[in-house]
Amino acid sequence: MNRTSSSRRSLIGAAVVAALALAPALTACGAGTDTSPPAAASPGASSTGAYDPNATIEIGSLYEPQNLDNTGGGGQGVTEAFNGNVYEGLFKLTDDGKVENLLATGYKVGADGLSYTFTLRDGVKFHSGKALTSADVKSSLEKVIGPASQSARKDSLSVIKSIETPDDSTVTVRLSAKSISFVYNLSYVWIVNAAAKDLATSEDGTGPYRLGTWKRGSTLSLSRFDGHWGTPATNKEVVFHYFTDASALDNALLTNAVDVVTSQQSPDALAQFTDNADYKVSDGHSTTKLLLAFNDRKAPFDKPLVRKAITSAIDNRKLLDSIWNGHGSLIGSMVPPTDPWYEDLTKINPYDVNLAKKELADAGFGGGFTFTLDTPNYDPHPTAAAFIKSELAKVGVTVNINVITADEWYTKVYKNHDFAATLQEHVNDRDVVWYGDPGFYWGYDDEQVIDWVKQAEQADSTDAQTALLKQVNRQIAEDAASDWLYLYPQIVVASADLQGYPINGLNSQFYAYGIKKSA
Amino acid sequence: MRTRRSATLVFGCALVAVIVILAVASLVWLPYDPADTSGGRLASPGLPHLLGTDKLGRDLLTRLMVGARVALAVGIGSVLVGAALGVTSGLAAGFTTRWLDDTVAALLDILIAFPTLLVAMLVVAVRAASIGTVALAIGLAMSAVVARLTRVLVKRVLALDFITAARTAGTSWPRVVIGHVLPNIWPTLLVNLALQLGLAVLAEASLSYLGLGPPPPAASWGRMLQEAQATALTAPLGAIAPGVLLVVLVVGVNLVADGLRDVADPTRRRIR
Repeated sequence: MNRTSSSRRSLIGAAVVAALALAPALTACGAGTDTSPPAAASPGASSTGAYDPNATIEIGSLYEPQNLDNTGGGGQGVTEAFNGNVYEGLFKLTDDGKVENLLATGYKVGADGLSYTFTLRDGVKFHSGKALTSADVKSSLEKVIGPASQSARKDSLSVIKSIETPDDSTVTVRLSAKSISFVYNLSYVWIVNAAAKDLATSEDGTGPYRLGTWKRGSTLSLSRFDGHWGTPATNKEVVFHYFTDASALDNALLTNAVDVVTSQQSPDALAQFTDNADYKVSDGHSTTKLLLAFNDRKAPFDKPLVRKAITSAIDNRKLLDSIWNGHGSLIGSMVPPTDPWYEDLTKINPYDVNLAKKELADAGFGGGFTFTLDTPNYDPHPTAAAFIKSELAKVGVTVNINVITADEWYTKVYKNHDFAATLQEHVNDRDVVWYGDPGFYWGYDDEQVIDWVKQAEQADSTDAQTALLKQVNRQIAEDAASDWLYLYPQIVVASADLQGYPINGLNSQFYAYGIKKSA
Repeated sequence: MRTRRSATLVFGCALVAVIVILAVASLVWLPYDPADTSGGRLASPGLPHLLGTDKLGRDLLTRLMVGARVALAVGIGSVLVGAALGVTSGLAAGFTTRWLDDTVAALLDILIAFPTLLVAMLVVAVRAASIGTVALAIGLAMSAVVARLTRVLVKRVLALDFITAARTAGTSWPRVVIGHVLPNIWPTLLVNLALQLGLAVLAEASLSYLGLGPPPPAASWGRMLQEAQATALTAPLGAIAPGVLLVVLVVGVNLVADGLRDVADPTRRRIR
C-alpha cells in the first residue's frame, strides 16, 4: 500500500514539475501659481483622435491595496489606485516630479519662514456632497501626524507645531523648524472629510472619481464623480484588476482583459508587445533604486576606500542589462532624474577592475577579504547577489550570500544593524536626505553631509535647497556611501487605443483621470 | 532470468546513470566556471555555449551539470537522514510496549499529515539555507514515512513462528534484530527508500523554486526553473532543460524502485 501511494505521489510530483518546465508560456519644487484643474498626464495628453468619454479603462496591476487608508497601512496599492483619483491633496506631484497647486490655490510663507497660510479652492465638494472647509484640512493633517498614523510622511511632517483655521477657506500651519520640503510633503497628504468613517473600507475624498466596488483579491472600480470641481475625468469608469503573477497579467493584456499594465516587471515579456501595432510600450523613469548598501559603521566598510573599490569592481551596466535587458539607467548616486537635485555621477566610481584592486591594496586589503551579503529572497536580489559574488571574486573578495526573508531583513538589517552589506530596493523620490541621518540602517556618518541636509531643509529658496542637496549627492558618491547599482525602469504597456496615461509612475501613483480610449 | 524480468530496473538505471555521469563529470571537468558571467545575456544554443546562457551570461550546460550534483547530493543526503532516523525509530516502536507503540504510531500519523514540503520549509526557515540544511529538512520530513513502514514491517516479522522459535532457543533480542528482522524487512525498505529519493529530489527543486533551497549562486534545477520563468518566451531552453533533467532523474529513480520490487518480491516474479 505504502509503496503504491508513494509511487503515485512521486509521479504526480514529476508531472507537476514537468508541466512547470515545459509549459512556461502558459503562465506564461516649489509651488507654482497654476490654478488649472488636473490636466491629463503624458504621453498623448493632447488628444488628436476622437475618444469615448464614457469608456471603461481596465487597468492591470500587481499591487492590490491592503486597505483603503494611506495612513493605516494601505500600502503601495492604495496610492496607485486612489492618489489623485479619489483623494486629492492641497498640492499634487506631477508625473515629471513637479509640485503644483491642487486644492490650495496658493500659499504665503511668514517672514520667519515658520508659518504657512494656505487658501483653499472654492466650490470643492466631497463625494458625500459636503463642501470642503479648512476644518477638513486640519483634521487630515492631524490624522497623518497622529500617534496611530503609519504614513511614510509622518516624520517629515512632524515639524507641524500648530494648525489654525481662521475661516472656512484659510489654513495656517506653524512649524517648529523651517522646512523647505513642507509644501512638497503636503502633496502626500490626502484631504479627507473630517466626518468620514470606516476609511479602511470606504472613502470620502474630493477627487475626480468615487469608489465603486472593491472585490478583495480581484478588482477595485472607480466611477467618475460628476460633482468634481475641475475638468471631469476623460473616462467614465476605471477598474483595477489585481494579479499576483506577472505572466498572468501579461496574458490578460494580450487577451484584452486589461487595457494597460501599470508597471511591467519582466523585460523579456515585452517582446510580445513591442513589435505589435496593437500595443504601446513606454519606458519612463521610476524612483526605485537597487542598492548594495554597506554597513558604513563596521570594518571593512567603515573605510571609504574599500567601498569605492567594491563599487568600481562591479560592472553595474552589465548587471542592469542582465536583469532589465537595456531598460533602466545608471545614476551613480542616490538621486533619480526626476528629483530636482539630480546629477549624472556615474563617472565618480567607474567600473575599473584595476582601479578596484589598487584601492583595495591601498586600503590594506590587497589579499582580499570575505563578507556576508544579506540578500532578500525575492527577485531581483538573489540574481544580483550571484552577479556581485562573481564580480568581486575577480578582485579577491569572497562573498557569502545569506538569503533572508523580508521580515528578517527588517529585524536584522533595518532595526538591529546586524549586517556587513545588504541588497535593497529604495522606492521613494527625494530620499537622499537619509544619508544625513547617521542612525539610519546603513550608518553613513559624515558631519558635513548631516549639516548640508539640515541646511537644505531650512533653506530659504528651492535653489539653495537644490544646490545643497547636489553637494550631498556628490559627497556620498565620492565616499561611496553605498553602491547604487541601478535605477529601475518604469515600463508601461498599454493598448494602442489608449492615451493620456502616466509614464513615470512616481512613488507608485497612477493618475487615471486623463486616460482616453479611442471611440 | 532475473535480468529479463527486470527491464524496468535496467531502463531506470540507465536514466539515473545519465544524471550520475553528469554529476560525476562536473567534479572533474566543466565547460565553464559556473559563476562566469562573460557569456552574454541569453546567448542562443550553439558554440561556444552548447545550450546557451542564462540572464547573467552563465553557461547553461555548466549549471545543469552542477545542478545534477546538487540534486543527487540532496536526494541521497536526505534519504540517509530519513533512513537513519526512520529505521531506528521504527525498529524501536516495533519492539516496545503496546501503549508506547500506540503513542509513537499516533505521533507518526500526525507527522505524516504534514506535507513534506511544509516540514522542510519550517526547518529551512529556522536554519540558514544550504545543501546540508535542505537535505536535513527533507530527511526529517521523510523519516516519519520510513518509521511508520519500518514499524509495520517489524510487527509483521515479529509475529512469525521462526522468531518465537529463535527466542525459545535463547537468542537475544539484538541478535534477533540483526539476524532475523533486518534481513526480512530490508528489500521492502530499500524499494521505499528509492521512491523517497525521487520525492526528495522533487522537494529540493520545489524548495529552490520557492527561494528556500541552497543559496545563490548554487545551481539548483529548481532555482534555474524559477529564474528562467521570466525569460521562457525568449529563451525556452533555460526552462525546459532543468525540467527535463528533473523528470529523467525522478522517473529513473521510480523505475529503479519498481525494478527492485520486482526482483525482491518472489510473488510478483511468479505472476509475471
